[in-house]
Amino acid sequence: MNMLGSILYDTVYHSAPIILCVIGGIFAYKANVLNIALEGMMLIGAFVSTLTAYFTHSILLGVLFAVIASSLFGLVFSFFGVTCKGNVIITGLAINLLASAIAGFILIQMKTSNITLSYLNVADLQIKIPFIKDIPLLGKIISGHPIITYISFLGIFLMWLLMYKTKFGIYVRVVGENEDAAKSIGLKTDFYKYAAVMIGAVCCGLAGADLSTERLGLFTNSMTAGRGFIAIAAIYCGSGSPVKSALFAILFGLARSLSVNLSIYAGPASGLFDIIPYIMMVCVLTFVSVLKYKNSKLRGFKYE
Amino acid sequence: MKLKSKAVGLANSVLPVLLAFIIGGIIMIAIGENPFETYGILLGKSLLTTKGFLTTLHYASPLILTGLAIAITFKANIFNMGVEGQMLLGAFFSGIVGAYIPLQMNSILAKIICLTVGVLCGAIFAMVPAILKAYFKVNEMVVTLMLNYAVIKVLEFLATGVFRDLSSGYVSTPTIQQNAMFSRLGSSRITAFFFIAIAAYVVMYFVMNKSKLGYETTAIGKNLDFAEATGMRVHRKILILMAISGALSGLAGAGYMMSDQFKFSLSFSGNPGLGWDGMLIALLGAHSPTGVLIAAVFYAALKTGADNINLYSTVPKEIVTVIQGLIILFLAVKFLHEHTPMTEKLKTFFSKIKISKNREAQ
Repeated sequence: MNMLGSILYDTVYHSAPIILCVIGGIFAYKANVLNIALEGMMLIGAFVSTLTAYFTHSILLGVLFAVIASSLFGLVFSFFGVTCKGNVIITGLAINLLASAIAGFILIQMKTSNITLSYLNVADLQIKIPFIKDIPLLGKIISGHPIITYISFLGIFLMWLLMYKTKFGIYVRVVGENEDAAKSIGLKTDFYKYAAVMIGAVCCGLAGADLSTERLGLFTNSMTAGRGFIAIAAIYCGSGSPVKSALFAILFGLARSLSVNLSIYAGPASGLFDIIPYIMMVCVLTFVSVLKYKNSKLRGFKYE
Repeated sequence: MKLKSKAVGLANSVLPVLLAFIIGGIIMIAIGENPFETYGILLGKSLLTTKGFLTTLHYASPLILTGLAIAITFKANIFNMGVEGQMLLGAFFSGIVGAYIPLQMNSILAKIICLTVGVLCGAIFAMVPAILKAYFKVNEMVVTLMLNYAVIKVLEFLATGVFRDLSSGYVSTPTIQQNAMFSRLGSSRITAFFFIAIAAYVVMYFVMNKSKLGYETTAIGKNLDFAEATGMRVHRKILILMAISGALSGLAGAGYMMSDQFKFSLSFSGNPGLGWDGMLIALLGAHSPTGVLIAAVFYAALKTGADNINLYSTVPKEIVTVIQGLIILFLAVKFLHEHTPMTEKLKTFFSKIKISKNREAQ
């Protein structure tokens, strides 16, 4: 029972940053700008939030600056990818590399290898929801997370609302599905692409702040460990629907939490458990893809 | 006409580098250093002295191979991001085999066995995303990225557990046997591995520019539907290209293991890793083998130069990583188009300035 509780608690805990990345990346995916810079934006968010919190002793400022920094990266990404019509995949990779390079460079300038917020007790940031926390099992799972975790789960609903129930969401999808049609009815396609990327950037900034400052009070370079790419995999699996993709993100959170919780019992083989999430993502991608094309009679790779 | 398009291609590779260097210079001024002096150290020692240049060539050898590995798949619009993982896998197992072969074995045979193991590991591992892509239409980019993380974790586990060299102070596999090591030529750092890399370049030059496969690669990259409609077996081509790419990556890893590192440690490939460097090189060389060769030498000069910066100046060598990121960022954009008439572009540019000036005057 205790084990189950901690596995499920960790599932929520590990899902949160990925969900944020997923709902951020979905808009770009729908606007037909594949945003693989999620990883870099998250990393720079994580770095800047810890850096700011380290100097100002304010978590709120840290989160704010994380969002600003990742938005700046989003602007650079969309300037090169949309305005200059560069290859978005290469631009995204450059952003990823640049984020870790900048973080590394500044860490060296500060003569440390990681930033630790020693004044911060991360347990204080966890919110104990009244009443719910007293329910057995469920209370243990739902209550006691930092605030961005709750925002991320709320975000799934908000993004669904924004994407399917507002004019903005429809326009973004139109731009992604048929750019010429969008242009012919007078939509500023570049604006919607920028907006889609920027939504992703803001979400990634939050995810980064959650990952480093809010959960651990610590930043080390390359701490994002491919979560941005996992988010992209989740988006592919859920074929761009916010709810479905978020479910895949939670599935990944579950794999991660299993690998963390089971490794306690595994002894020397515990290192191997770290690969569960990555391998599972590959299997899920394959499975979804097989299901999707099972009845398709199209030849070639047209509808990838 | 052909000359002009080549010139435009060259400009498209040189401009991003210059821009990145300028921004890097601005950063250096911001932290209170002299950029000219730093760039002098960065490129001068590694390109202009004989010994430095040979060291550069030594470090260029694995980069040529990873660059070619990426170039051949990117040219076909297949995004094989798993070069890093394939390279590490090849390196690891060639290192293991190299450590356990009998010492009295013929040294050429020993080297061939190690290299073959590396090549096979890389190629077989590359088959996983290739089969998934070709027969199940799974996005190869995501799969290769995921497998990179997985393979790094597995190798970490193997290096800390089963294959750990307990006599070593840090986590590493046993050192490979003497007969599997490439020996240095004279007093320079360069080894026979460099010539293997050059041989691979020559082969790839003919494959990519003169062979049927090369033309088909270009066709698939330009328009996959068209290539498929003309009757190419795209599925099979994807498998072949990925196998070549994996084999080259494996060779790079095995060669780097046998000519430089001699054992697998957790920092084997450095930061950001030979595979990722290969991507920059492929982009810089515009996916052409000769371009890759030149770019690899240039990039190796940057890398050896980075160590010199650390020794002879106070600028941290991480600045080179920043410059590298900037180069990729600028490479994503084609500054000049192949068909842009330059003179006309300049004319319109100046006329625009004139118009805006006239407006201001009014």
